[in-house]
Amino acid sequence: MITKMSRLRILGPRDRLTEVLRAVQDLGVLHLAEPFARAPLEPAVLTPRLERQRHQLSRVLRDIESTLELLRPGPRLLATPSARPSIGDFARWARMAQRTRRTAEQLDLRQTELVEERALLRKYQHFFTAFRSMLDAAARWPNTTAYHILLKTREGEALTTLRSSLTGVVGEEFELYTQPLSPSETAVLILVPAKIAPKVEHLMADAGVEEIPVPRLYGTSLTSAIPRMLERLEEIPRDLATVGQHQSALVRSVVPELLRARDAIRDRLAELDAVVLAGVSPRAFALEGWLPTTARESFAKTLDARFGGEIAVSEAAREEWSAEEAPVVLRNPRLLRPFEALIRLFPLPQYGSIDPTPFVAVFFPAFFGVILGDVGYGLVLGVMALILRSRAKPESTLRSIAEIAGACALFTVAAGLLYGEYFGDLGRRFGLEPLAFDREEALVPFLMLAIALGSVHVVLGLILGVVAARGHPRKAIGRGISAMMVLLILAALLAVIGVLPRGFFHPTVIGILVAFPVLVVVEGLIAPIELLSTVGNILSYARIMALGIASVMLAVVANRMVGAMGSVAVGVLFALLFHLVNFAIGLFSPTIHALRLHYVEFFGKFYSPGGVRYEPFRHWTSPMQDRRA
Amino acid sequence: MEPLWIGVSAAIAIALPALATAWAQSKIGPAVAASMAEKPELSTIAVLMIAIPETMVILGFVVSVLILLQGGG
Repeated sequence: MITKMSRLRILGPRDRLTEVLRAVQDLGVLHLAEPFARAPLEPAVLTPRLERQRHQLSRVLRDIESTLELLRPGPRLLATPSARPSIGDFARWARMAQRTRRTAEQLDLRQTELVEERALLRKYQHFFTAFRSMLDAAARWPNTTAYHILLKTREGEALTTLRSSLTGVVGEEFELYTQPLSPSETAVLILVPAKIAPKVEHLMADAGVEEIPVPRLYGTSLTSAIPRMLERLEEIPRDLATVGQHQSALVRSVVPELLRARDAIRDRLAELDAVVLAGVSPRAFALEGWLPTTARESFAKTLDARFGGEIAVSEAAREEWSAEEAPVVLRNPRLLRPFEALIRLFPLPQYGSIDPTPFVAVFFPAFFGVILGDVGYGLVLGVMALILRSRAKPESTLRSIAEIAGACALFTVAAGLLYGEYFGDLGRRFGLEPLAFDREEALVPFLMLAIALGSVHVVLGLILGVVAARGHPRKAIGRGISAMMVLLILAALLAVIGVLPRGFFHPTVIGILVAFPVLVVVEGLIAPIELLSTVGNILSYARIMALGIASVMLAVVANRMVGAMGSVAVGVLFALLFHLVNFAIGLFSPTIHALRLHYVEFFGKFYSPGGVRYEPFRHWTSPMQDRRA
Repeated sequence: MEPLWIGVSAAIAIALPALATAWAQSKIGPAVAASMAEKPELSTIAVLMIAIPETMVILGFVVSVLILLQGGG
């Protein structure tokens, strides 16, 4: 349900505005309203000094956040609450943030350079190691020029061609060494006397053979560079460790203070932002905001105790504000609360409208279960949900997902028992019989079940629409007639196919003929189209049957693989793989389609999106602190 | 009716909506991806948008099954 909210108005002398704002921030329950501007009050503006302060604090906050991002202190380091900071504290934090950011950036840059250098050296390590053994040969030949080439093995013929071409140009005055690097690459070293080197270079240029470039950082020739590069490979881990030590020292020495500074600056910026929400006259201020009605008494009492008779807290009459302005707080029983996560995926409902969480909590897992409907898959999903729940933090979205999955698993097992399915038709081989019907055979009953679920869901949506439109009688009557007509159409159809006694047919048709003109009068000419669209919405629930059939057929095919592969072991392996794929599809597809049935077919009948999120003016806390609180 | 034509009719009943769904999703997919790149908060709407044309193939499947059942297949 949507929590009842009260709009409070705080009046007081202007010189106490800052203190009152701080007290409100300490209490942390008041969602401040838009700027209060009612004659003779006008919206407050920040003085040039405060405007400057806000600008400077925003810059310092950016510095701190960049530094924290670079240092990545981890979730264990949390800001310790401190007393309200002075101007001196802010100035000290500004200097510290600037200095630390510079140091952190330098350390980060150095770390990046080292990591990149190591990656480059590792990439070529095997290559240089191969050449290193050949360089001993080069050392035995004084006054020679060395050429280092990398040949692809598929160019094996190129090696023969190279050798014969060299023989053609320089005769026997060269040495050629090869070293396999990998199945596809070969390192080649060519040594020639320095005096005939130009001829060889000319030959290589003509043949399009390129020499391996030597990284300049390590020397001018491969002979001098390779030892240096191998040396660097040993040095880099030590350099990285040194950089890491400096970073750790920085984290230990400044991060706790930076976290304190970040929280205090955020608080101060929120306070400055709140100032402009007040309405002021030369001597007075007024501030308005919402809070849950249950917190109203304690809020007023605390402020009264703190400021005595200096300020007045009163509640604005309901006629003074509209539902669109009020923030929305969803509060449901513990069992239903995880499903609020599915509502939050959608824009929040408007204040005063209907919170669909209880309905989603029933129908979402029910639709999921009816589609997947398999005891085996349900049990696997249940185990996964339990594992996920044990690992998720309380009140986190992950915990909500685990709990929703748990509910879906329960419904899947229940529907599986109705269909007699345990990993498809595997259960039948062990005597598991359907309690209701066999989905493999009874396609029409399954379709009827899907349409029946759709009818209940859509009609419920229409009834909720009547409730939601209680302030607009014409709209409410229109929706009521629509709901009634849908029921009459369904009754007529059921009478035709013999589910209801034939005697129902004529009264229902007469009812439809009477209701239709009334609907057109109340809702206008658009009503017939909307009615058709509602009938279309009910037919859309046929997807429950279609997806369910697909799920069971895939499971049956998976089981048949055991006997179809020739080898039992291979068959079992394929069957397991197929079941895994089917299970993955079985998690994804019912979720998407159950959500769609809710968001499009069900919510479309009554839901009023556009609710304002309740964001009370309070001290800033990190998400981690929030979860621990 | 000839079993052959019952099979062909059932195949057409699902094939055409499947092609139509694929075509619609091929248009929606890139648009949704582009929207999500700019506004990640639209992810819910994005999923819905992709799921909406699937109604065609699902109803096609239902009609196909009914053709097979009514045709005595």
